[in-house]
Amino acid sequence: MTRQIDARGLEPPQPFELVMEGLADLAAGESLAVLLDRMPYPLFRILDRDGYRHSERIREDGVVEIEITAP
Amino acid sequence: MNPTGSALGYDAAPPISAPLRYFLSAPAFGVLGGLMLMLAPELLASRWTPGALALTHLITVGFLVMVMIGALFQVLPVVCGAAIPMARMVSGAVHVFMVGGTLALVTGLYTMQPPTLILAAALLGVALAIFLFSAMIGLAKVSAGTGSQRDMRLALIGLGVAVMVGLALVMTRAHGLPLPLFNLLQLHLGWALLGGAGVLLAATSWIIVPMFQITPPYPKLMTRFWAMSCTITLLLWSFAVYFEQHWLSVILLALVAGLAGVFLITTLITLTKTRRSKPDASFRVFRFGIWNLTLGLVCLLATYFSDAALLRIVAGVLILYGGFVSVIQGMLYKIVPFLAWLHLTQSGIKAPNVRLLQPEQRASAQLRAHGLAIATLVVAAASGNDWMIRLAGAVVVVEFAWLGANMVGVLSHYRRARHEAPARRHSHAV
Repeated sequence: MTRQIDARGLEPPQPFELVMEGLADLAAGESLAVLLDRMPYPLFRILDRDGYRHSERIREDGVVEIEITAP
Repeated sequence: MNPTGSALGYDAAPPISAPLRYFLSAPAFGVLGGLMLMLAPELLASRWTPGALALTHLITVGFLVMVMIGALFQVLPVVCGAAIPMARMVSGAVHVFMVGGTLALVTGLYTMQPPTLILAAALLGVALAIFLFSAMIGLAKVSAGTGSQRDMRLALIGLGVAVMVGLALVMTRAHGLPLPLFNLLQLHLGWALLGGAGVLLAATSWIIVPMFQITPPYPKLMTRFWAMSCTITLLLWSFAVYFEQHWLSVILLALVAGLAGVFLITTLITLTKTRRSKPDASFRVFRFGIWNLTLGLVCLLATYFSDAALLRIVAGVLILYGGFVSVIQGMLYKIVPFLAWLHLTQSGIKAPNVRLLQPEQRASAQLRAHGLAIATLVVAAASGNDWMIRLAGAVVVVEFAWLGANMVGVLSHYRRARHEAPARRHSHAV
C-alpha cells in the first residue's frame, strides 16, 4: 500500500516534519509517496542512514516526486 | 530517476560549526564598524577617507562576505546536494584567513600602510581561493545542474575578480604600478557589488525566497538568464572602463543598472505573492532590504546627473547597510534556526520548533534597532554632524551586538537540546 503526502507550499522544516511523521506510521515494506517543491537532500541522508529505499524524479512542472519504502 | 545515496555526496553533510563560526563572528565586525563611527566621526566626510574605506570593508568583507561564505557551507549541501570536501577543515581554514585578512585589510586601509594591505590581499585571496576550489569540487560532483548552482559559481568567480582587482589596487598604491587607479576602483566596486554580492544574492534568492518566504518560484527567464547576462555585461563594461571608452561604458553601465533593477522589481513582485497570512520579521526585513537596494540604485544613478557628494554617501548607506545588511539579516533569521533544527533532527534528537529556537519577538526587536541604525546613518551622513554620527555608531554597535546575541541564543537552545536528549544514532559535534 502506498500512502501519499503533499508537502508543497510549506515553510521548512514543516515538509520535513510531515515526512518524518509519515515514516513513523509506515509498516515494513509499505511505501510513502511524497510531493515536494525541491529535492530534500538532508532527508535522503536520514533515509539512507535508517535503511529506507527511495527513488525520486523531478516532474516537468518542477515538482519533486519521491517514493520511500520502509525497510 | 536521480542517483541516490552517497553518489550525490549528501552523506557528507558539514558539521554545524562549518557555517556557524561565520555567522557568530560576522556581527563582531559590525560592532567594530559602529565603534569606528563613535570614535572617529570625521571619517564620513568623504567616501575616500581612509576611515570610510576601512568602515566600508568592515561591513562588506567582515559582515556580508563572512555571512555569505558561511551560508554557502550550508546552502551547497542542503539545497544543491553538493558537499564541500573536508568541510570542517576547509571551513576552519577559510575562516581563519577571512578573519585575519579582514582585520589586516581594515588596519591597512585605516593606516594606509602598503605592507599591511598586501598581507590583507594575500590572506583574503587565499581564503577565497580555498573556498572557490572546494566549492567547485563539491559542485562538480552534482549530476543535475540548476540555475542556482551555475549562478553561485558565477558569483564566486565575481567575488574572485573583485579580490584580484582589489589586489591590483593595493599594488598600484603601494608600488606605483602604472595602472589607472580610478578605473580599477570602478571595476572593484562593480564586481564586488554586482558581480559578486549581487549575483550571489540573486542565486540564493532563487531558492531561499520561494523556500522560506513561501512565494511562487521566480520566472524561469530570470533564473536562466539574469546572472549570466549580468556577468557578461559586467565583463564588457570592464573592458570599456579599462580602455576608457567613455560612452560605451556609460551605455553598458545603464544596462547593468537596468538588470539590477529588473531583479529588484521582480523580487518585490514575487514577495507580494507570498502565501503567508502574516509577514514575519525575516520577511519584513528582507522586503525592506530590497526596497533599500532599489532606492540606493536610484540615488546611485542620480549621481550621474548631480555632483552632490552627499548623494553618493547616501547611496552607499542605502545599498550596503539598508540593502545588503538587511537582506542578509533576513536570511540569517531563517537559516540559523533551520540549521540548528536540521542538525538536531539528523542526530536523531527531537528538535524544538524553529519558532522556539529563534523567538519571533527577539528577531523583531533587533530588527527595529537595525531600522533605527539605517535611519540615523542616513541622517548622520546627510547632516555631517559629529554627534549624529557618534549616535549612529552607537546604534550600529547595539544592533550588531543584539544580532550576535540572538545567534548565540539559537546556539544555546541547540546545545541544551543536545545535552538534554543524548543522540539516538550518529551525531555531529559542534
